[in-house]
Amino acid sequence: MKISIKKIALAAASATMFWGLVGPVQAANWLELQGTEPAGAAPRAKVWGFIQPEYQYTENTPLKAGPWQGQDAVFNQMRPNLESNSGFNVLRARVGVRGTAMPLDSDVNYFFLAEFGNNGITYPAGGLGNARVTDASITLNQIPGARVRVGMFKYPGSEEGLQAIHVMDYINFTQMSNVLLLERFFGNTGTGTAGPGFCPTAAGEEACSNNPIGPVGAFRDIGIQVFDWFNVGKWQNTYAAMLGNGNGLMPNNNDAYNYYLYWSSSLIFAGKGVRVQSWKSFIWYQSGSRSISTAPNGAGGDVEDYQRTRYGLGTTLRKGKHRFAAEYTKAEGMIFNGTDAGAIPGAVSNNGNFIASWNVAPEGEADGWYVHYGYAPTQAWEFDIRYDQLNRLTDNTAGERQFETWTLGAQYFFNRKTRLVVNYEWRYGQAPNEDSSSTPNTILETIDNRISTEILMIF
Amino acid sequence: MKLASRMLAVLLALGLSMTSLQVNAAEKKEFADTKIVLQISDSDPFKQTLVLNVANNLIKHYGPDQVEIEIVAFGPGLRLLFAENVNKDRIQSLVGNGVRFAACNNTIRNMGKKLGHPPELNPNAVHVSAGVVQIIDLEKKGYMLIKP
Repeated sequence: MKISIKKIALAAASATMFWGLVGPVQAANWLELQGTEPAGAAPRAKVWGFIQPEYQYTENTPLKAGPWQGQDAVFNQMRPNLESNSGFNVLRARVGVRGTAMPLDSDVNYFFLAEFGNNGITYPAGGLGNARVTDASITLNQIPGARVRVGMFKYPGSEEGLQAIHVMDYINFTQMSNVLLLERFFGNTGTGTAGPGFCPTAAGEEACSNNPIGPVGAFRDIGIQVFDWFNVGKWQNTYAAMLGNGNGLMPNNNDAYNYYLYWSSSLIFAGKGVRVQSWKSFIWYQSGSRSISTAPNGAGGDVEDYQRTRYGLGTTLRKGKHRFAAEYTKAEGMIFNGTDAGAIPGAVSNNGNFIASWNVAPEGEADGWYVHYGYAPTQAWEFDIRYDQLNRLTDNTAGERQFETWTLGAQYFFNRKTRLVVNYEWRYGQAPNEDSSSTPNTILETIDNRISTEILMIF
Repeated sequence: MKLASRMLAVLLALGLSMTSLQVNAAEKKEFADTKIVLQISDSDPFKQTLVLNVANNLIKHYGPDQVEIEIVAFGPGLRLLFAENVNKDRIQSLVGNGVRFAACNNTIRNMGKKLGHPPELNPNAVHVSAGVVQIIDLEKKGYMLIKP
């Protein structure tokens, strides 16, 4: 069953549900750092974590066109509740423990992490929220060249998703990651039978809103991964192959699985661990089936399976005072398509006839990319600049949307484990195949620039 | 024949001179003014880094020929000398500068019981009957004990 073209045409912006935060680029071997412990030197249990209180602000420009004209725009609201354009939040507060089950045996490691902050993991659809386990895995290192990791953990893929969130340079994800990779799980595609494809008020707010049925995927899956790295001179090559549920932090909900493939090659200049100085290039692929209802107006039934495929490549560089990264992602199927006309899900249209929904384009295509440069003149300061672009529904002339963001950032390190991050984002959106004065483009003019700041402390 | 004799003479001379150099190097170590035994017996991974740092700093300060260093590992500290220990490259580098590493046989035996097999150790580790006895014996020889 296909999505209504008309509805897609009017479902202008709102790709910017910034539930995840974190910026890109380090050149570290994340598979090694996250999945294993230093041989012969790991404790039985190391408690660690991080806290990220933040403040964000937009001007809260109301929607300039469409059935919800004059109402709050979803992309100008603060996540996860989307109830305010500004405010303080504890974006992340994670506590974990990692180590070896038996210090004498380095071949068995474990990693456990739980989230207590306010974000798409704990507040996928607002409400009271729930603390949630984000990582729980065991790594077996007995087989030379083939370490095995089992449980819930970050899947091998895009650098922006794979890297440790607490060392990222930015506060908010790129649109590439936010829309294409930070998977949301909806029960319904969000199609409707009213007007140009909206959900009629009579169906009720709960059905129409099409709120997520679980936490965001957080770049994680539950499954089994085989991986390892090999040093050849100054080069370190890493591979990973993983089989997972394809349902994020939740148990499997269909008979299908998601598979992941990953390869990276790094030229090591100096150092090790998180702040290794190296030049890394990587390529990755993932694909799996998703089940979603195509019944209109949020009604149940009509569940169909759609393939969700993502693949990409990129490079990162960290050398001396310079940091650089670039990444490209292609997406096929299950494209997160924002909300109806930029409205907040559950909002009633001005004429009282429609309720705004979250949308998914189960057969759509999209792609995105970013480029980042950072300069750290001293140990205490780093300045960053990033450009990212998202091209959503590139296979749909009327529904295609393009989002561009320039982010300027500064980081001040109180010490190696505590820093202040300030970002300013210039955000743009357009419907490239529509007239500049069209309703979609007028709605997209509503996207505000955004100020974000956070203090991050690792313990 | 003459050529062969000459070549043999050259080879003999080279061999003697190399032996002399080795003797001289050993003699220099033997006459090192400063002798240090470093103890590692903690399970804290940070202590592994610390003891290697201390050894490195001693070499930097005194020079590799002017200081004798032996690191004695026993108890949980023996993990430093596990074959796959993450610090094995640093250990190799220190061995290249004359640092010696001693592994306690008592600990090896006890760990073997827990593991079901003897732990595989760094090939540079020299087995001693008991780590604490090794330390006492070295102190009697004029070594200074430092436990970082």
